[in-house]
Amino acid sequence: MTVIAAILLVIGAGAFLYRILAGPTIPDRVVALDGLLSVVVIGIIVTAANSDSGVGLSTVLLVALVAFVGTIALARFIERRGG
Amino acid sequence: MHVIPGLFLIAGALFTMIGGIGVVRFNDVMSRMHAAAKAPTLGLILAAIGAAIEIGTGRAIAACVLVVLLQLSTSPVASHVLGRAAYRSLDVTLDDEDDLAE
Repeated sequence: MTVIAAILLVIGAGAFLYRILAGPTIPDRVVALDGLLSVVVIGIIVTAANSDSGVGLSTVLLVALVAFVGTIALARFIERRGG
Repeated sequence: MHVIPGLFLIAGALFTMIGGIGVVRFNDVMSRMHAAAKAPTLGLILAAIGAAIEIGTGRAIAACVLVVLLQLSTSPVASHVLGRAAYRSLDVTLDDEDDLAE
């Protein structure tokens, strides 16, 4: 079960990583970065469910908050500077 | 790993993968934002339900609920701000009406 979920997550992470590297514009990269952090969040959730302990779930909150703040900061940066 | 939480986790990972495929396959910033904002949010909700069922302690369930509430409240805000920034910095082609034109 966890292995299947991990394989699907790796495929998704590769897709987001391709869009980060390929661009072509900065908003594209920011969108893909946001999605990649969602993949990280779901990966931590899957790992926590696999190990049957809720220890890692506090990290999930932190990563989700950092993803939000980072996306907002990059969006303000794009708006000021131009894509 | 029980069956039902495992299926929830697989469904969450599947929706996240679909979002990634959408980000690769679509050919417009707004279309990619559409794929990257909604599909991983649904995937996160499903994965959090699966983890909450599997772990089952009160602390884990509270953390999962908090994560889902946080994602549901921040994802539209982030997409909105990013969409406005992309509109102002790029020449975005829209279908019919242009509500942001000044």
